[in-house]
Amino acid sequence: MTIEELPARSPVAGLRRRGLSMVEVLAQSVSALAPSAAVVAVPPFVMVQAGAATLPVLVVGSALVALVGWCLTAFARRMAAVGGVYSFTAKGLGPGGALLAGWALVVGYAGIAVSALVGTVAYAISFTVPFTGARPPGWVAALLAVAVGLVATLTTVRGIRLSARVALALEVVSLGVVVVVLGVLLAAHDGSTGTGAAVVDGPVTAGGVATGLVLAVAAFMGFESAATLGVEARRPLVAVPRAVFWTPVVTGVLFVAAGLAQVVLLRAAPVEVLTGDVPVAQLADADGLGVLPRLLDVGIALSFFACVTGSVNALARVLFSMSREGVLPAALGRTHPRFATPSVALAFVLPVVVAVPAVALAGGARARDVLAGSLTLSALGYVLAYVLAAAAMPLFLRRIGELTRPALVGGAVAAALSAAVLVVAVAGASWSGSGAVVVVFVLAWLPGPVLWLVLRRRAPDVLARVGVYDQATASSVLPGQGVRR
Amino acid sequence: MTGVDRGVTGRQPQAVRSALAVLEEVARAGAGVNAKEVAEALGLPPATTYRLLNLLVAEEYLVRLPDLHGFALGAKVAGLVGTAPPARVPTAARQVLAELRGGVRAGVHLVLVSGAAVRCADVDPDLPLAAPALVETHLHASAVGHLVLAEAGDWRDVVHHPDRLPALTPATPTRSVELEACLARVHAVGWAGQVGQLHEGVGCLAVPVRAPDGQLVGAVAVSSGRGEVPVASLDAARDCAARLGPLLG
Repeated sequence: MTIEELPARSPVAGLRRRGLSMVEVLAQSVSALAPSAAVVAVPPFVMVQAGAATLPVLVVGSALVALVGWCLTAFARRMAAVGGVYSFTAKGLGPGGALLAGWALVVGYAGIAVSALVGTVAYAISFTVPFTGARPPGWVAALLAVAVGLVATLTTVRGIRLSARVALALEVVSLGVVVVVLGVLLAAHDGSTGTGAAVVDGPVTAGGVATGLVLAVAAFMGFESAATLGVEARRPLVAVPRAVFWTPVVTGVLFVAAGLAQVVLLRAAPVEVLTGDVPVAQLADADGLGVLPRLLDVGIALSFFACVTGSVNALARVLFSMSREGVLPAALGRTHPRFATPSVALAFVLPVVVAVPAVALAGGARARDVLAGSLTLSALGYVLAYVLAAAAMPLFLRRIGELTRPALVGGAVAAALSAAVLVVAVAGASWSGSGAVVVVFVLAWLPGPVLWLVLRRRAPDVLARVGVYDQATASSVLPGQGVRR
Repeated sequence: MTGVDRGVTGRQPQAVRSALAVLEEVARAGAGVNAKEVAEALGLPPATTYRLLNLLVAEEYLVRLPDLHGFALGAKVAGLVGTAPPARVPTAARQVLAELRGGVRAGVHLVLVSGAAVRCADVDPDLPLAAPALVETHLHASAVGHLVLAEAGDWRDVVHHPDRLPALTPATPTRSVELEACLARVHAVGWAGQVGQLHEGVGCLAVPVRAPDGQLVGAVAVSSGRGEVPVASLDAARDCAARLGPLLG
């Protein structure tokens, strides 16, 4: 395409362009990752699997995610996309790879939104139990899920500005509570050992380490979601790569530090606490910290709620992108006339995200089971998308003639390691221990490959459009400049 | 977050020199030049060149073309040249303006427009604009500015801080909803009018001057201190703008 043929209008017009500051873009990644929930909930799971190798596993998992984040910055510095990792993959692996990765991402975002919604409900109930004295029946939990879903709908349709700011504030508050709780517990720690030591310093097996690594990587899911704000960010080619790289790096440091604290604390605790629902809260309760455990519940419930809005924001924008390309019906690409958000896509996504957990909870399913199942489902989706995106990065750079040796090595290592993580996760040695989740994932992911095969036969021109981004328009280049001959 | 990952600091003069050299090379080679060609022409290491190109694209001095490997100078470069093009108005155009000035009892001004740059080129000597500089810089608050913003694909790309539009008077549209309502009116009727948005009690209308190919090259503005849009002069201003089009475009 020559400079004279540049379009007057961006293919992703309709969203509010260039409005979000650096902090708001960062908030999207942070809220979808939900660091305070991750650093509290995940390390005990890893301990059960990896035993004495827990800390090295946490470090390696964080490093792998940071490496994937670095791979994504190669795209984010060069194109401002709405589809995030989906659009990136299209530029390296073509439309086929993009649809495989894109639909895996859709499953990932939807799964994490469901599990975060359940998490919000579970921690909100855990907060009220000491006051009411009894666990409420399933239909109350289901009603609560619907209410949380309604609030999430309002904030996400109203605009990413409000939801991002609220989410970041909630996250900072809850991280503060987590740090205070862990700090107080460490200060009160007397260096004794309890029955938990048998697990914390337990034997190291290859399978346990691999499964622990899967769990550690899963803690970071959603860190890449700032990449869906390419159009809405004020300086997208600066803000998005920073958010995508620094979110996992900073969270990784917190994650390892919180892991270290929990290794020390849980070694001294009874083994029942370690394998319980919320080990840190139980430790805090046992230490008689008064109001702090309740604050921890509220903080983590808020963190989960921020995660619901963050994931739904990203999910709706991926569908919006697919719709603008013609892969999905055009209606999903409509934006709200006043708030300039992908409101139709949001309205399509949110009922699904709310209905699944509401029905399950009303039916008497345990929150912990729904949470674990949807988390596993989304982990499979995310990691598949990460594998494809990391593999796409060197191919993309080679295509545009900007490949360097570090990029080639980094992309290859990230793709290979993520693929290994995916294989372990699929192998079913994962924490949920059931093959049913893998079957559900394959069924949920099937529309991706099917769309690709159908479009390849019926509408190759639609496939050629896959990977739209906020490209240069006639008004963004200097008029009247010379053209290379 | 700040303070880290800043590719270039003031302590790295060579990096600044290299960035400017990259900018010059894209200007010299022409739109469509790719990263390898820039690196080879300048003798810079490829990885450094790619990083500098990405920085210049992030700051919008350069633009990545839709093939993702070609580069072109960004519209922002116009800001380096100065937003004010030399305001030479042809004599024939001055005569057309003089005729309009003789026919209406309000200030008649010619404003030249180039992209988003606005220049008050011929201000009525008898009833001058109170502050031409305000018209040139606050596009959201003037009738001429509304014409320019309505012409742009997205007004947010044109104004400097779309989320912090300064209020010059209580009537200035500072919220995007208000401004968008003004722009919608411009789209509907083909001319712009405002009262008291730039100065209290001053009304103004602006009629686009279009080159024969339809491009917006200027505006005829009629200002009045009577606190209303001088619609009585609308037809005369339109007639004047139609005659100016071929002279300016």
